Amino acid sequence: MIRRLAEGEWNLSELAAPLRMSFPAASKHVRVLERAKLVRRRVSGREHVCRLKATPLRAVALWTEQFRALWEKRFQALDALLEVMKSEERGEGAGEV
Amino acid sequence: MNSTGLKVTTPSNLEIVMTRAFDAPRRLVWDAMTKPELVRQWMFTPPGWSWAACEMDVRVGGKYRWEWNGPNGERALSIWGEHREVVPPARIVHNELMTMGPGAGGCGSDCADAEPWELLATLELTESGGKTHLRMTLLFNSKEARDAALTSGMERGVAAGYDALDAILAGMKR
Repeated sequence: MIRRLAEGEWNLSELAAPLRMSFPAASKHVRVLERAKLVRRRVSGREHVCRLKATPLRAVALWTEQFRALWEKRFQALDALLEVMKSEERGEGAGEV
Repeated sequence: MNSTGLKVTTPSNLEIVMTRAFDAPRRLVWDAMTKPELVRQWMFTPPGWSWAACEMDVRVGGKYRWEWNGPNGERALSIWGEHREVVPPARIVHNELMTMGPGAGGCGSDCADAEPWELLATLELTESGGKTHLRMTLLFNSKEARDAALTSGMERGVAAGYDALDAILAGMKR
C-alpha cells in the first residue's frame, strides 16, 4: 500500500481493491499510516482521498529503520546460537562432561 | 546502540548494505549461515510463520531454497537462488529471487501475481580479535525492487497488528 501511495492520490476503494483488502481493513491500515505521519487523508464529498505525506527521504529512512529492526532481531537470535556453538565447542575440546 | 548493533545503509538507489559484528570466530558464523539446520534456528520470521523448506547446497553453482508458510498454512514467502561465489569461511555471492504468497498478511494481488524480485547478495566475513565482522550487500535491479524489499516487513507489521510499526516509530523519535 505504501508503494502504491507513492505513485499518487487514491481514494480508499481504489487503494483496497488491487490489494484484495476489505474496505474496513484498508481504512484501518491507512489510519496507522496517518498516525505515523506517512499518509494524509482528506475528505472530498463522500470520498476519502489519500496521499503519501512523507518526503521520499523520510520514507526511505523509516523503511530502512524497520528493515534494520527485523534483521537485528534475526542477528540477536544468531548471537544466541553462536553462544551455544561456542560452549559446545569448549565442551568437546575438554571431552564429554 | 551497542557495539555489535546492526547498521543498515542505502548507499545508492539500488543497494542495501548491512554491517554487524559477532562475538564469535568466523568459522562458527560461517557454519551458522551455511548449514540449513542452523539457519532454521536464527532466521527469525513474523509470529505465526513456519519453515516450509530450508535447503542449501553451498558450492559454486549449488542452489538454495527457503520457504515459509503463514498462519493460515499457505505459502507466505519463497526465496531461492544459486551460489555464484563460495570462499569458506569468508565470502558468498548468490542471487536471490523472492515472491510473496497468500499466506503473508497484508499482501494482495500486487505481490502474489508479481514477477519475483531479484537481487544479488554478497556476504563478506572478516575476523579480528576473535570477533567476526559481517558485511552484506544487497544489489537490486531497480529502485522499485529495492524499495519493495525495504517496505515488505513494514507492510506485514502494519497488517499483523501495528505493534511492530509503533515500536519502530517510537524508536525513531528518540
